[in-house]
Amino acid sequence: MPEWMTPALWIAAAAVLGTIALGLVRVERGPSNGDRMLAAQLLGTGAVAVLLLLARATDAPALLDVALVLALLACVAGAVFVRRIGVQPPERDEGRGPTRATEDGS
Amino acid sequence: MAAEVQVFDAVLVVLLLWLGWRALASADLFKAVVQFIVFGLLLSLAWVRLGAPDVALAEAAIGAGLAGALLLDTLARLGRSGAADEARPLGLTPARTGIALAALGLAALLVASALALPERWPGLAEPALQQLRASGVSNPVTATLLNYRAWDTLLEVGVLMLAVLGVWILEAEPALPRPAPDPMLGLLLRVLLPLTVIVAGYLLWVGAHAPGGAFQGAALLAAGGVLWHLARPLSLGPSPVVRAVVVLGFAVFLAVGVATAVLGGGLLTFPPEHAGAIILVIEAAAMLSIALIMVALFVGRERAPSDAGIPDSAADASAVPGAPNPGAAP
Repeated sequence: MPEWMTPALWIAAAAVLGTIALGLVRVERGPSNGDRMLAAQLLGTGAVAVLLLLARATDAPALLDVALVLALLACVAGAVFVRRIGVQPPERDEGRGPTRATEDGS
Repeated sequence: MAAEVQVFDAVLVVLLLWLGWRALASADLFKAVVQFIVFGLLLSLAWVRLGAPDVALAEAAIGAGLAGALLLDTLARLGRSGAADEARPLGLTPARTGIALAALGLAALLVASALALPERWPGLAEPALQQLRASGVSNPVTATLLNYRAWDTLLEVGVLMLAVLGVWILEAEPALPRPAPDPMLGLLLRVLLPLTVIVAGYLLWVGAHAPGGAFQGAALLAAGGVLWHLARPLSLGPSPVVRAVVVLGFAVFLAVGVATAVLGGGLLTFPPEHAGAIILVIEAAAMLSIALIMVALFVGRERAPSDAGIPDSAADASAVPGAPNPGAAP
């Protein structure tokens, strides 16, 4: 591996971490639960990418296994979300939690 | 340390602190759960940066994977997904101030004791590495968990067993309706289940000489089980077979402990020539038990055994606002 490679990998990892920080804006602002969940799925992919870059940069092949486990498990939370909570249109979801319950009940 | 590494670490620390705060302070519980899932992802990266890939693997498997699934399921059972939590107003009450002060005092004590440690204390790493040859494995973390401190791990497996017994004793209320099979998830399951089984076996085997082990493998198997339950609902009540697998890991571990106490050098003191095989047997049994325990914790008690013969009614399904309503009567 050439000498400039390790700093380049670190810079790439920091850049991907920066995109994770940007994705957190979507988690924070939503507006719907589906937006938040999909943002979390995307951030899981980002974490996998960071792990792969660090595995190469620090010469730690064990991190590939961590990335593998993250990649395999990332979809479970999404599947639970789809089956148990579900996607609602944002206009029903936004800041109208208490009234929504009465709408459903009537 | 190079500047780019310091930038990476600084961004990671800032994100972790911010996410930790938001996950605790969000009035929207769903947002808090999603932030907690992302917090688990970043915490796993933090363990990597601290040079603990074993812990990073456990955090990735349990923190980011299964804990998120359990929390989302809990949220669905509470029936308030997306709703602002009116029972959780933010602000300082006298009780919260007291708790915050006590937590700050504890944190100050911990920092003080960490600073009071001798700077060049050698720790137990050296003796642990010296005995590694006799431990039966070449990964010092596995040697510590399954040989030097096997007693602790035995009790951990016992605690998990007690947790699922507790869930079975408590009636899970409010119970979720039993969902109909889902063809889309069935497709995902067909692709993913074999992969989780293979990777779980790989992690169990690789744990002897690299990061891996029974808990991480069990988390993967359990993820497969959770997907299975979501695609084609399982009934994992306390039937005799399920009970037998739940206690298997603890029973095998305990039997090995008794056997070594009677025949050999003492409780859970493994003879060096057989230690590798003993550890593998214990870990394989523990992995099966832990995986089933995790799936059973997720499944909970969706219906009491007494109404097992009653078909799902539409009224049941509408009890959870926002939940998909497959298979409901028109």
